[in-house]
Amino acid sequence: MKKASRKLLLIAVVWLAVLVVAPLLGSHAVSLADALGGDSTAATILWRIRLPRVLLALAAGGLLALSGLGFQTLFRNPLAEPYTLGVSSGAALGAVIAIQTGLADSLLGLAVASFLGALAAGALVLGLAMRRQGIETSTLLLAGISISLSASALILFLQYFADPTKTFRMVRWMMGGLAVVGYREVAWLLPWALGAAALLFFLRRELDLLLTGEELAASRGVDLSRLRWWILGGTSLAIGSLVAVAGPIGFVGLIVPHILRRTVSQGHLILIPACLLGGGAFLALCDLAARTLMAPVEIPVGVLTALLGGPFFLWLLLTRR
Amino acid sequence: MTPVDTTIPLLTAQEIHWRHGDRTILGPLDLEIGAEECLMVIGPNGAGKTTLLRLLTGLLPPSGGELAWRGEPYRQFSRRQLARRIAYVPQVRPTRVPLTVEEIVLSGRFPHLSARRIAPAARDWRVVRRALAQVEIEALAQRPLDELSGGERQAVYIAAALAQEPRLLILDEPTTHLDPRHQRDIARLLLRIHRGGEQAVVVATHDLNFASRLADRVLALDQGKMVACAPPSEVLSPAHLDQLFAAPFELLRGGQRPLHLLQIDQPIDLHAGDE
Repeated sequence: MKKASRKLLLIAVVWLAVLVVAPLLGSHAVSLADALGGDSTAATILWRIRLPRVLLALAAGGLLALSGLGFQTLFRNPLAEPYTLGVSSGAALGAVIAIQTGLADSLLGLAVASFLGALAAGALVLGLAMRRQGIETSTLLLAGISISLSASALILFLQYFADPTKTFRMVRWMMGGLAVVGYREVAWLLPWALGAAALLFFLRRELDLLLTGEELAASRGVDLSRLRWWILGGTSLAIGSLVAVAGPIGFVGLIVPHILRRTVSQGHLILIPACLLGGGAFLALCDLAARTLMAPVEIPVGVLTALLGGPFFLWLLLTRR
Repeated sequence: MTPVDTTIPLLTAQEIHWRHGDRTILGPLDLEIGAEECLMVIGPNGAGKTTLLRLLTGLLPPSGGELAWRGEPYRQFSRRQLARRIAYVPQVRPTRVPLTVEEIVLSGRFPHLSARRIAPAARDWRVVRRALAQVEIEALAQRPLDELSGGERQAVYIAAALAQEPRLLILDEPTTHLDPRHQRDIARLLLRIHRGGEQAVVVATHDLNFASRLADRVLALDQGKMVACAPPSEVLSPAHLDQLFAAPFELLRGGQRPLHLLQIDQPIDLHAGDE
């Protein structure tokens, strides 16, 4: 417990370091002295472009990691996360429909559409995998993959018939990115990330108990169906709101909780803040890499996380006992 | 703890049954369990023992009939409230559990914990220590569960169930897969718990002599039906057992707590007891 809290502190320090340093780096390095010393270009880049982007990455990464943590514990499977369970694809389908119909002209419309998409996909996957004895995880993952594929096919279908400007918007948005953001998006997403953390924190004992299996957890007084709906509903809301501003960003929810569980703690009291901070720092670093590796060209961050996540997923599959 | 009134049954089951599709897996059966009773459930594989235990624990809502705790129907209790009264040690558990012994036993305190408290209270730790002592595994407290032997793990889960401070402890085949020494350890532990008188105990088992030694009453299940529920001397006769398990048994010792030996060499004569 002591060791775990020390590790959590270390993660918090890394998080702070990322918050301070990442906005200074990019295709054009900015020094803090310039930005504060009246260089208006430097100030604009730092305060208006980079800082909100880093803040959004920190919030989005934290939220993704928390969603992954909730799903992995709930379904007792390290491969479960919003992306693999089809929740992200459902949200994306909702958002694409919103872009196509013009609903997406307001952030709220886009968010509601992606939330509904996420919830529908999540409920469908959960419904398909529910058995009398509990959740069958292999069915869960297969159902998630089929929902993902179906949603992707529907998205392609809509793209094909959309007019070219909309198609471009959809394609670029589908790659997942944090490129064009301001403080409005940050203010939108931050409460969701904190809300997800609060929800999981409130349910932390139930989540700890699930480590001993569903049957035992239920026998100790955990109301499993209530817990499932809270986590599924909460995660769908959060993922829907995230997808609305940043597109589907995959695999952060897979990689971060898994590594933190192995290295920091099994207990959710520590894991929840660790995921909020660690996931944020991870995504902000990925985004930093995305905008510097091929500068001045930017790689969409979703492409980068997927490039990391694919092999990681494979490694998990192969080493899973 | 308030003193236990032994005259009112702890648990009453009326006409409970469990259906899966068109098939009736269990029941309908009636059952009363006394406040200090030790009830052993025997029967061949697939007889519905686990289903019965899960119904009694409240993990499975019956397809029909009613379960009551001291006269109050189960559905008036939340999952948490039931868990403060009934603890269950299932036979099938996850193979890998990344927790220490102490953490598992502490998990038994869940139904008593308030969500607002960050850490368990001093009383919770006292109960955990007492449960570890009762099962004689204090020395294992800090060990990861995955490093322990099957017998030790069984003891850990029983300690966790005791930490729930239940009035009724339900165990599903606690001695299956254990070597003789650990079977004996678990049997002695259950005997101590039973004699302590704080809990009623319901155990499903295939070990007939274990049942005979511990039970106040033995409940025999066959194809979901209750074929007997009486003291060991009545239920555990060779004729009964031959019939129930379709295998020949030899009575080694009669009396209040009869002992049997499964005959391996003899063919079975199912009608031997009919004359």
